Amino acid sequence: MTTPLQRYTHYFVGFTLFNVLIQVTRLVKEGTGKTTLAIGDGANDVGMIQEADIGVGISGVEGMQAVMASDFSISQFRFLERLLVVHGHWCYKRIAQMVIIKRLSRFSLSSICYFFYKNIAFGLTLFYFEAFTAFSGQSVYNDWYMLLFNVILTSLPVISLGVFEQDVSAEVCLQFPALYQQGPKNLFFDWYRILGWMGNGLYTSLVIFILNIMIFYNQAFRAEGQTADMAAMGATMFSCIISAVNCQIALTMSHFTWIQHLFVWGSVTTWYLFLLLYGMLPPYYSEDAHKILVEALGPAPIYWCTILLVTVACNLPYLAHISFQRCFNPMDHHIIQEIKYYKKDVEDQHMWRRERSKARQETKIGFTARVDAKIRQLKGKLQRKSSTLVLPNCMPSPC
Amino acid sequence: MEAVGQAILVLPEGIQSDPNCSGYLPDCFIAVLQSKPDSKFTQQELPACKPILTPKWVVSAFMIIAIVFIPIGIACLLGSRDVVEVVERYETKCIPAANINNKVQYIQNSDANKNCTIQMKIPKRMKKPIYVYYQLDNFYQNHRRYVKSRSDKQLKSSKNENDTSSCKPENLATGGGAIVPCGLIAWSLFNDTYSFSLQKNNQSLAVNKKGIAWKSDKQKRFGKDVYPKNFQGGGLKGGGDLNVSVPLSEQEDLMVWMRTAALPTFRKLYGKIEVDLEANETINVTLQNNYNTYSFNGKKKLVLSTTSWIGGRNDFLGIAYLTVGMICLALAIGFTVVYFVKPRRLGDPTFLSWNRGPGSH
Repeated sequence: MTTPLQRYTHYFVGFTLFNVLIQVTRLVKEGTGKTTLAIGDGANDVGMIQEADIGVGISGVEGMQAVMASDFSISQFRFLERLLVVHGHWCYKRIAQMVIIKRLSRFSLSSICYFFYKNIAFGLTLFYFEAFTAFSGQSVYNDWYMLLFNVILTSLPVISLGVFEQDVSAEVCLQFPALYQQGPKNLFFDWYRILGWMGNGLYTSLVIFILNIMIFYNQAFRAEGQTADMAAMGATMFSCIISAVNCQIALTMSHFTWIQHLFVWGSVTTWYLFLLLYGMLPPYYSEDAHKILVEALGPAPIYWCTILLVTVACNLPYLAHISFQRCFNPMDHHIIQEIKYYKKDVEDQHMWRRERSKARQETKIGFTARVDAKIRQLKGKLQRKSSTLVLPNCMPSPC
Repeated sequence: MEAVGQAILVLPEGIQSDPNCSGYLPDCFIAVLQSKPDSKFTQQELPACKPILTPKWVVSAFMIIAIVFIPIGIACLLGSRDVVEVVERYETKCIPAANINNKVQYIQNSDANKNCTIQMKIPKRMKKPIYVYYQLDNFYQNHRRYVKSRSDKQLKSSKNENDTSSCKPENLATGGGAIVPCGLIAWSLFNDTYSFSLQKNNQSLAVNKKGIAWKSDKQKRFGKDVYPKNFQGGGLKGGGDLNVSVPLSEQEDLMVWMRTAALPTFRKLYGKIEVDLEANETINVTLQNNYNTYSFNGKKKLVLSTTSWIGGRNDFLGIAYLTVGMICLALAIGFTVVYFVKPRRLGDPTFLSWNRGPGSH
């Protein structure tokens, strides 16, 4: 037959024994690495139907066992082609969309976690400072710093994380749908992640605040003997926050293009540029921040030392955590990244194909039910649609 | 499960029916590939750097941090240890015995004698310039209402003399005229004075009161044509007086005071002593105990301090650097040991969750 059927699968037709069918299907699946489809109508075909990636059962003479065990069921063999061409295509698209949506939602979750983290880190420092101002509501930062924080100084890297992040490439992503499997384990895992990021935010805020207070305390901060006023301490604390949160997002990214570099390091540079330009405005606008970078903070070694210390201290737990996790409890996408990095998929093609087929098997749970629901939905749509195609009843039987 | 029977079909995207074809229908289905002009940007195929955290990188990262931080910590600690600092608390000492139970009354009494003498012992040789600070404790210069209470426009130019709305309640004198400079910050100006002399030969030590404020304050924020007017004229005196014949751009004590401090315990620069002081010398300080900190249980301290490249004396920065450096060193060593004892082959598919069995992930 010269139908699209041959383009999509290899298939075996046989009236052979139960075990043999299963083993042969498994061999074909793992050996060729292609998606396998098994079709059968009897009780002896049940094992083979379940072993294959897609199982099709024919209801009829030998009863309904094959139908119960399969992902799709048809009433006559001749409908197989329509099933493959139309529904097979749809299913592939659906899986691809599901995987892509899952991946997007996973990165959206990443972005949301980061958003919580940076705002907790920033907001809590303000809150802690209140304890030192007799709770009068005085903020340690200039109003302009606070305004720009979420608008430009930390927002661009998050966007690049959500849009451009790729922990594995798109083709690998589709080959390993199990990477994005939803299940009861994953649900718990997401809460763990969210709480972990909030804890990180709390820790970061404490480190930034305490280190700045203790370092600047009350002694001179420069060789010329001047002591730090609220403007100097506020600007230093804010510089620490900007460096720390941007460094943090750089650590979470695994895919660096020029865009990521621009957004992350650009955000930090934008802060210094802003501080410089704002300081140049006349004191009527810039008040205590007038010339603060050029005159007070820039030439003070303690300022740069503080920023370096705080940035590293804030990011150290996260760095230790991901190193530990990679070492002892690696996630699937870490292993796959390593396989690609060391080119083991090229060296050991058999292993790569085998793992891909196992990954597909993982998505079988729930797959059948979703396909079923989608077919019912589409059938309803077909009956309502105006532009339809009516096929002739008779088609030659391939057997 | 319902069977897909003979039914009307809507062809899915990407598959069309060839209109010229008749006969076996599935043969007439054509897969149509739609090609759009895609850039590398939209296809997310930009050249990328994809670093992964291999054991080599982990250990290197921690080692580099340790190697950078430990020397910086040592340098900061040495810089801080170089600084010699002498602190003397005097607000209780300088109350005469007779007034110990009514301090507030004493301090508010403008006729009372506020002279006081204290001694300061120099522990180590102090090289010039030696900075003189006054330290106040429990004084909330960072209170919101206090910080707001000033008029920068008025400070800058005599034209804006009447711009005192943000300075309430210290905006108008009892006579009705505007107070220059207005506001609570200026009103509460610190006014203790200090003079120093060596005990051994009564030689007085000059205190240089110039150059203690930021240059940008002198040049840009405090006007050359603005003179104090009606200062402390609001009924209640809150602090020191200002010389009406000196323009604000020369009033460095005022400028230093108006830079509101971040914490309730703060020091402000009073002046500089431009001679060296030898170890074990005793300095006699004659001070005027004018400023009222007794109403709010504040403390007053006099500080003599040298500076180093890092500023005044504070071991915290050095200790913090050393701590972080040590932690990183420990982590580097720890990870090295672990990688040798229990190595994981990179890219080993047995670690994939579906190969590890249930309970993984």
